[in-house]
Amino acid sequence: MSSSSHVWQRAVPVLGVRVWTHSFRLLIGLAALGTVLAAYRLVSPLGPLAGMSDAYAWGVWKTFNVMTLTALGSGGLAVGLAAWVANRHALHSVMRIALVTSFLFYASGLMARVIDVGRPWNFYNILLPWRWNTHSSLFEVSLAMPVYCFVFLLFENVPLILERWHYIGSPETRAFIRRLDPYIKRLYPYMIAGAYLLPMGHQSSLGALMMLAGTKLHPLWQTQWLPLLYLMQAVICGFAFVTFITMASCLMWRRPLDTAVLEELANWTSWTSLAWLGLRAVDLLARGVLADTVTAGAYSLVFWTETLLVAVPAVLFRIPRYRTTPRWIFRLVSLTIAGGMVYRFVPTTIAFSPVAEARYFPAIPELLMTVGFIAVALAAYTVCVKRFAVIPAPLSMWRAMVVHDRRTYPHISRDDDGNPIDD
Amino acid sequence: MSGTSSGSSLSRRRALQLLTGAGLSGVAAPSSAASSAAPSSAAGGADDTVAMLFDTTRCIGCKACMAECNRVNGIEPDTGADGLWQMPIQLNSRTPNIIQLLASEAPEKRAFVKRQCTHCVDPACVAGCPFGALQKSDQGIVIWKGDQCIGCRFCEVACPFEIPKFEWDQLNPRIVKCEFCKPRLAEGLEPGCTTVCPVDAIVFGTRRDLLNEAHGRLAADPAKYHEPRVYGEVEGGGTQVLYLSHVPFADLGLPDLPAESNASYATRYQHLLYKAMIVPTLLYGALSTVIRRRWHKHEAAQAEQQAQDAAAGRGGLREQL
Repeated sequence: MSSSSHVWQRAVPVLGVRVWTHSFRLLIGLAALGTVLAAYRLVSPLGPLAGMSDAYAWGVWKTFNVMTLTALGSGGLAVGLAAWVANRHALHSVMRIALVTSFLFYASGLMARVIDVGRPWNFYNILLPWRWNTHSSLFEVSLAMPVYCFVFLLFENVPLILERWHYIGSPETRAFIRRLDPYIKRLYPYMIAGAYLLPMGHQSSLGALMMLAGTKLHPLWQTQWLPLLYLMQAVICGFAFVTFITMASCLMWRRPLDTAVLEELANWTSWTSLAWLGLRAVDLLARGVLADTVTAGAYSLVFWTETLLVAVPAVLFRIPRYRTTPRWIFRLVSLTIAGGMVYRFVPTTIAFSPVAEARYFPAIPELLMTVGFIAVALAAYTVCVKRFAVIPAPLSMWRAMVVHDRRTYPHISRDDDGNPIDD
Repeated sequence: MSGTSSGSSLSRRRALQLLTGAGLSGVAAPSSAASSAAPSSAAGGADDTVAMLFDTTRCIGCKACMAECNRVNGIEPDTGADGLWQMPIQLNSRTPNIIQLLASEAPEKRAFVKRQCTHCVDPACVAGCPFGALQKSDQGIVIWKGDQCIGCRFCEVACPFEIPKFEWDQLNPRIVKCEFCKPRLAEGLEPGCTTVCPVDAIVFGTRRDLLNEAHGRLAADPAKYHEPRVYGEVEGGGTQVLYLSHVPFADLGLPDLPAESNASYATRYQHLLYKAMIVPTLLYGALSTVIRRRWHKHEAAQAEQQAQDAAAGRGGLREQL
C-alpha cells in the first residue's frame, strides 16, 4: 500500500474487471451450499442440523451471525452519525461503503435469524400489535432489525443504484429517475434520522438480552451497562470495519488511498474505543469485580484478550505516525475489529454458563450455513462495487469511467462528466 | 390422598375454594405479558396465587408424580434409556416434571428433588418472550401459547432454572414445561403430581398458606433441615413452587439467586428509556433537526455548484448521496 496522498472525490464503480473471478465462484459455491441447507432446514427440525441443546439454546447463528456480525454492519450508523450529525464532511466519501456493507451484513444476519427460530411462520405476530411484548428486548430486535434493514438501509442505498441506472439506462429510465429524485431528497433527512435512531435501539437491545440471563452470565460481563457497551462497540466496529473494508477494497481493485479520510476514521475508532474502555473500567470498579480480571482464570484471559485488542489500537492511534501510515491503520483496525467481535460474541457463549452441565460446539451443517450466509454478503459486495459507484476514487478515475461508459454504451451520448445528453 | 404425614396442617380445601370460587377476583398476578409492569420485588402480591411446596425430607423417590404428570398431560413418557422404563435423567421436552437423586456416600446427604417450572412471581421467560407466548395467567401460572411462539428459545436462555424445553426433533417445535395442570384446576382438581404423592412430599395450596406451612415445619423441627430457609420465598423475586431441604439447595441444582428477579434487573432502566416512547421521540426530534440543518446546507451547496457548472456551459458532476 502506498502512503502517497490522494483525494477521494467521488465513488466510482470498479470497471473493466470480471464479476466471475475464481474467488467469486468460491463465494457463490459456499453461499449456494448454505442457502440449500437453509432451505432444507425449513422442512427439517433443528435438532439434526445444529449442535444446540436446551442448555445452550442459542448457537452460532445468533451468537455470531446476529450478535457479532451486525456490529460489523453498524458502519452505516457510525459513519452516518459522524458525517451528518457531527458534521465531519470528509467521511461522506466512505458513506456508500458503510451503507452497502451495513445492508448486506444485516440481511445476512437476518437470514440466520429466520432459520434459527423454531417456528418462523409465527413471525406474523409482528403485524398484531396487541400481542407485542414491548418489555422484551428480543421483541425490539425482532421488530426493529428487519425494519431497519429492509426499509431504512435499503432506502439509503437506493440513490447509488438509481445514479448508475441514470448513467447507463434508457431515456425512459432516466426520465423516471428524474421524476423520483425530488421525492427521495425530500424524504432523505427524515429517513436517515430514523436510520440512526433504530440501530441505537436494537444494538443496545442486543446487549440487554443477556441481562435477562442474570447470574448465568459471568460478572465480568453482566452489568446494567451492557446495552450501552454493546451499542458503543457496534459504533467502534462500524468505524473500524468501514476502514478495513475500504482499505481492503482499494488494495484489491487498485485504488489510491486518501490518508486524510483514513486518519479521520482512525481517530473516530480511537476516541470511541477509549470511551468504551473508560466506561468498562468504571463499571468494573463500581461493581467491585475488578479482581475478577485477574482471578477468574480463563474468563480473565478472555477479558484481557478483548480489552487489549481494543486498547492497543486506541492508544497507538493517539500517536500521529500510526494514524497517518496506511499500513499501520490497516493492522490496527484489524485488531479493533477482532476485539470488538470477541466482546460481542463472548456474553452469549464463553461467558454464559448454564446451570446444567453441557457443552456446545456447532454442528457441521450449522457451520456451513453460518459460512454460507457470510458468503452471500461478501459475494453480493463484490457485485455491488463492480456494478455501482461504491468505492471512493480520485476524479481521474471518474473520467476514466466516462471513457469506459462511452465505449460500452455507445448509443448514449454524454458530456465529459458522464451525464447522458438526452435528445 | 389422606396425608400420611401428621405435619400437614395445610388447608387444601380452603385453597381449592379460593381457586374455584369468588376468591379468584382477589388474585393479584398480572394478567398478560404486555401489561405486566408489576414490581417484581413484591413477591407478597403473589400470596393468593396457586403454589406447591416440596420437602426433600419427605420424598421417597417413588416417581409416581412423574408418571402421573405424563398421564394427565397426555405426554408420552420418555423411555429413551431402554425403551421400557421412564428414566429420563433430566427435564426434557417429554418430561415436564422429574424426580432426581442427589447421590452421596453418606445416607444423610442423599436427597430426592422434584424439578419442574417454579412459576416465578416475576418470570424472566415471560419478560423476554417477544410476542407474549409465555404468559402469567390469573392464578400466577406461567402458560405457553403456541400460536404466539416463534421458537426463539429466549425463555431457555433467560430461565434461571433452565426449565422450558424445546422440541429439537419436531418441525413445529413446542416449548414444554409444567403448566400447573391448569385445566385440572379449572375442574376443581389438584395438579396430577400433588394428587398422587403418597407421602405429601409435594403439596398444593395458595402461596401464603404454603409459606406458613413451610415456616411451621422449619420451626417445629429445625434440626431436620439444612438451613431455616424456604427456597423460593425471595429467591429470584420469589417462586410459586417452594422448597424445603435437608441438604444445601445448591446441591439440588437450585441456583443461588439474588432477591431481585432477572426480569426486574434487566428492565430497571429500560422502562424509563422506552416509557411512552418519550425518549426515542425526543431523540428522533433532535437527530432530524440537526440533520435537516446539515441537509439544507448541503442542498444549497449543490445548487450553487450546479449554477456554476451551468454558467460554464457544462452538465457538471451530479451529487452523490
